[in-house]
Amino acid sequence: MATRAGRHRNQPIAYLYIAPAFVIVMVFSFVSMGLSFYVSLHDWDPLRGRGEYVGLANYARAVAEPSSVFWLSLRNTTTYVVMAVIGVLCTSLPLAMLCRRSRYGQALFRTLYFLPSITPMVVIALVWIWLLQQWGGLLDRPETALLAIAIVGVWQASGYNMLLFLAGLSDIPQDFYDAARVDGANRLQEFWHITIPLLRNTLVFVTVMVIIGAFQVFTQAYIMTRGGPERSTEVVAFQVFKNAFSYAGQMGYASAMAWLLFAVLFVFIMIQMRVFRSRRIYDE
Amino acid sequence: MKTPDNPIRQKRLVGLWAFVIMSLGAVVMVYPYAYMVGASLKTRKEFATDKRSLIPPRFQIGERLKHMRGEDSALAWEGADWPVLKNYVDGIVYGQVDVFLLNSLIYAGVVTVIQLTVNALAAYAFARMTFRGQGVLFSLLLATMMLPAAVLLVPQFLVVNALGLVDSFWGVVLPGFAGAFGVFLLRQFFMNIPGELEHAARLDGCGSLRIFWHIILPLSKPALITLGLFTFMAGWNSFIWPLVVLSDQAYYPLTVGLSLFREESGADWPRIFAASVMGSLPLIAMFLLAQRYLIGGISLSGMKAQ
Repeated sequence: MATRAGRHRNQPIAYLYIAPAFVIVMVFSFVSMGLSFYVSLHDWDPLRGRGEYVGLANYARAVAEPSSVFWLSLRNTTTYVVMAVIGVLCTSLPLAMLCRRSRYGQALFRTLYFLPSITPMVVIALVWIWLLQQWGGLLDRPETALLAIAIVGVWQASGYNMLLFLAGLSDIPQDFYDAARVDGANRLQEFWHITIPLLRNTLVFVTVMVIIGAFQVFTQAYIMTRGGPERSTEVVAFQVFKNAFSYAGQMGYASAMAWLLFAVLFVFIMIQMRVFRSRRIYDE
Repeated sequence: MKTPDNPIRQKRLVGLWAFVIMSLGAVVMVYPYAYMVGASLKTRKEFATDKRSLIPPRFQIGERLKHMRGEDSALAWEGADWPVLKNYVDGIVYGQVDVFLLNSLIYAGVVTVIQLTVNALAAYAFARMTFRGQGVLFSLLLATMMLPAAVLLVPQFLVVNALGLVDSFWGVVLPGFAGAFGVFLLRQFFMNIPGELEHAARLDGCGSLRIFWHIILPLSKPALITLGLFTFMAGWNSFIWPLVVLSDQAYYPLTVGLSLFREESGADWPRIFAASVMGSLPLIAMFLLAQRYLIGGISLSGMKAQ
């Protein structure tokens, strides 16, 4: 009988409801990763399929071989991540604080600063090729090319993260500031002793998300520089891409590199999961 | 520091300065768009000689005056009297931008509709039903969110390749048919819908599918719209996945089409920018219309648009 609400009863039909989503998500996550691990242990060509079993040779090749570009690309990527994190934090948080204080046009600013988040990265990269060329050819010199694509990344991400900070700032009760004002605190003291500590969750969230996103940087390098000049913008995701889809028969090697990238990111992903769980949208 | 004994005055001053700095920032945000639109209205020669100016020569008063005085000006060049939107038309006529745009629309649209349906069904089961293994299955689903897209690129390609879907419509859209984040977000929303309505419907003999369709979904419109918008935007902006799956140009979405134009030797930049404008406008229009859902969604969840 269906009279009693089925809170405590097993409802097998639920499996039918979750099946489509569950199967698709699993196939394109864990199953894919499993398959790619299997592939990474072989010589593999996307067209001809499995070749010889090579054990961990693909990993060894990426990590230990002198001619390997993996470390170079990892160093470039890490440098990019550092620049992106500093850039995003130093723009989006001040912008959020200014936006709240602005006498006019707060809603308009929010809209305008958000535009890059809804523009295809390809389009952004194409336009910035020419903007950067006017600024002394930042893209053409190996010393500045990575900085140049980081500028683009920061320009693209700062508005979005400003919105996250705005949400975080609006959660801080005004009472704290009023109390500090009564005690004679100046703005800098307010910032260090109220804003930063109470914004900790948002700060960690934004930082970790930017780190994870920046480690995957690809489109700028692909569209703007093709990894050049002199491999100065060779990043890991681009290396994986090239080995998998441009060079013949390197699918096993590319899979190994994807796994190595995952290993590098793992720490940050763990922090992300923790933060994500502790955010208020999780089970109340 | 200005008169601390007059906090209202000081607050006004700070507000004014904040406005000024934010306005400067807004110029930095808008400038690339202005540059893109301006360049898309130039001829190739105009762009090649003047890469700096935002305004095409035909709209520059200085050039007009020079031209009227009979001096040598950019307006005497070939193309200065062409239709302003020639690059846009050429992009469609010679660069099949219309096909790319339609492809983008189809990919993003199909992914959005199917993902909403599939995610909502699963979210409903997780939120309102009881079954063995519920917690484990949900945790497993959530755990997939920790796998970054760049790491999954090659693995997902291997699966699509194994399914024989490389270079096909299904290969592009299939991985987007469901997403752990969407299930998670909708489940949160569904759990907050009061149970009384559901009980009443059950007493009237409604099955779970009818409850889902007639009670849960109509009450969840804001969440569905927010998730739908984000899914559509992600689909429209996606680049790497269609880039690796597709080789037949007829299937290209706009993002991949643009990168194709860029690779051509002697790339026609004004035309590339015209296509870029056409590719950016739909989402900007959509954003302006549905802003409250999007910004609300971000503040709520830190959802990512790209």
